[in-house]
Amino acid sequence: MEKAMKKNLLQAYKQAPWRTQIQWIGIFLLVLVGIAVVAGVYLMISGRAAAAGRRIQSLEADISALEMEINDLKTQYAQVSSAKSLSERANALNMTMLDPLEAMYIEVPGYIPPSQPVLAPPPSVEEISTPVLLPEFTASLWDWLRLKVFIEPSLPVESTESVTTEVAPAPTEVTP
Amino acid sequence: MRTTNWNRFFIICVLASVVAGVAGIQLIRIQNIEGAKQILADSEAYQGINRMIYPERGSIYDSDGRLLAGNEVIYEVGLDLQAIQQPETVASVASSILGLDYARVLGYTQMKPGNGNPYFIVLDGFVSKDKIAQLESIKEDYSNRSAKRGEVRPNLNGLVWTANNKRSYPEGTLASNMLGFYSFLDRTDGIGYFGVEEAYDDLMAGEPKQVYSAIDPNLLIAIEEVPPGVTVQLTFNREIQAMTETKLDEAIEWSGAENGTIIVYDPETGEIIAMATNPRLDPNEYWNYSDLFPNPEPFNSAISSTYEPGSVFKVITMAAGLDSGVVTPESTFNDTGSLYVGGATIYNWNMGGWGEVDMTGCMQHSLNVCLAWLGMELGPDRFYSYMKSFGFDRNTGIDLGGESHWPLKLPGDGLWYEVDLATNSFGQGISVTPIQMVMAIGAIANDGKMMAPHVVKAMVIDGKQYSIDPVVVGTPISANTARTLTNMLVNSLENEASNALVEGYSLAGKTGTGEIATPLGYTNYSTNTSFVGWGPAEDPKFLVYIWLEKPEISIWGSEVAAPVFSDLVSDLVVLMNIPPDNVRLADKPGDTSLVNAE
Repeated sequence: MEKAMKKNLLQAYKQAPWRTQIQWIGIFLLVLVGIAVVAGVYLMISGRAAAAGRRIQSLEADISALEMEINDLKTQYAQVSSAKSLSERANALNMTMLDPLEAMYIEVPGYIPPSQPVLAPPPSVEEISTPVLLPEFTASLWDWLRLKVFIEPSLPVESTESVTTEVAPAPTEVTP
Repeated sequence: MRTTNWNRFFIICVLASVVAGVAGIQLIRIQNIEGAKQILADSEAYQGINRMIYPERGSIYDSDGRLLAGNEVIYEVGLDLQAIQQPETVASVASSILGLDYARVLGYTQMKPGNGNPYFIVLDGFVSKDKIAQLESIKEDYSNRSAKRGEVRPNLNGLVWTANNKRSYPEGTLASNMLGFYSFLDRTDGIGYFGVEEAYDDLMAGEPKQVYSAIDPNLLIAIEEVPPGVTVQLTFNREIQAMTETKLDEAIEWSGAENGTIIVYDPETGEIIAMATNPRLDPNEYWNYSDLFPNPEPFNSAISSTYEPGSVFKVITMAAGLDSGVVTPESTFNDTGSLYVGGATIYNWNMGGWGEVDMTGCMQHSLNVCLAWLGMELGPDRFYSYMKSFGFDRNTGIDLGGESHWPLKLPGDGLWYEVDLATNSFGQGISVTPIQMVMAIGAIANDGKMMAPHVVKAMVIDGKQYSIDPVVVGTPISANTARTLTNMLVNSLENEASNALVEGYSLAGKTGTGEIATPLGYTNYSTNTSFVGWGPAEDPKFLVYIWLEKPEISIWGSEVAAPVFSDLVSDLVVLMNIPPDNVRLADKPGDTSLVNAE
């Protein structure tokens, strides 16, 4: 039975050679579709990387602008609450300096005088020293595949970071 | 037929492979020729830029965290010549808003970039936010206008502005002698001059960094953080500083003095509580410096001006006499009114003799002859050894830019004579700065420990705050001597019914009247009047040093500087929250504290 089926198939291909051609064309198209899929994925990742890159650039510019704005507002606040302006407002309200002998002092048990003001920003979560931009956003698809498939598995865990920096393009001195 | 098809197919495959192979080889060849490498290198110029990032300059705060020097936003307005489409419109708007000459701006806008011409021209580097708001409003108005067919809508393309930081001093002239100033007009090479701005210039400026930022998003890497410069917190309180400056200005006006200096110092820690001098420059307009300080006038006379202090220096001589055991408070001296030393005769301020007086009496009546005798009893070796221990042969090292001192004349120097020992003992023939006097006398108010004067209390570095610890620079006298001398000076002030007294507070102090040396000798019609005082006597929290130069209403420190001390301390104790003696000494230390209810 099996033998007979094989014989029929061979006979069919001999009688209609276009079947072989279709087979070749099918394989060719399959490869073509494969390439198109890979190209599509590459394009998609590149697009996402580009969009993420632009977003990061924009956010960094925003951070910079906001920091300047914060400093500016602090300075403006200091100007409107300067010793001179407060003194003028106090004079306008007919306030005068206290005579030390007129001052009334009261005992406050347990009173703790205000401590030195803290100017440093409040402690925040310790920053993790990992690259801000992952290699997925900076490496080409081929570099990324090479990293994940060939390089990373063969390396000890602690040296992963050095590999990620290796993939990133080295900055070069250029003229603006 | 079948063979023919296969042959054709084979030939096509071979041809395609050859073509592909040739193309591949060509691709590899092109990528490796010299020209390709050059193109690749050139292309990197478009992948990103290297920029020098200047960190934000550190701020300066007072002891209560109020901003004294910070940064405000200012704009640089310029012309991107390649982008200009309507030169007349741009020139008209820019000149009217920025107050520039229209013809000049029009000339810039019509300039063709390249071939020796710039691509970008800065019109104004320091434009306020208000003016930028006006420019933005006009730009928005132009973009909202509708244009009919054939009409051209006006635009400001090519007129660009970017935000920058500018140093700002919100308190104006307040404490400017201590703050100094930063030459912010020089955006890249500005430096700090005088005061804290000079002393901490490197720290506050931070580390500029060359930073690479990619333009090609595929090459994007995280932009390196450039930490801001160090922020500093100073030791003085803004209100006390303002009050001290007001008192100084009033004193100068009242006395007709040429200049004046007041230092308020914490003898326990060495912190400067206030330091007022005149004139004071507004650091926001630092370019007026040369008008306000024509040579050789120092920026901060408290640390840079030397003068012969007169009788306030007797405190130092008496400290040396007591500490060395040459005299005790009860030792007596028969004052005949003159003392002949080294070919010169020393007289008292009233040219009279006071008979037998004890050491407290010598200080109370400020007897030159008595102190000259004490200096001679000490001898040059011991006397000048004490002078060195008190720091009169060097700068105090205060953390302000511009400190200087006058070299101490010592036996063996060509310019030292025997009479110098006698005159130095009562503060003549020796030049000191007010800050040297403050540091030295601070040792008497602090149980013999001399503290390094300083104005920086804390620093914020990389988000962490570090406090500056007080530094003991020496112990020129014993604690016992310091307390004994303080009690002597409390008694002498009270016995004298001095103008320096403040009701309710026990204070130690000494007046000073220094004659001024001229090419024709010492003058007796123009003097330097001084006063040094500290309190509360049993546990000093402040030391005040006053110097008024050439007052007109009187030549005597007891009549000019002493009342200023009293007036200043009356307000100082309120601002420092120091209750009067009867309240403070009745207080039980430890479990309760006194709070000014007003």
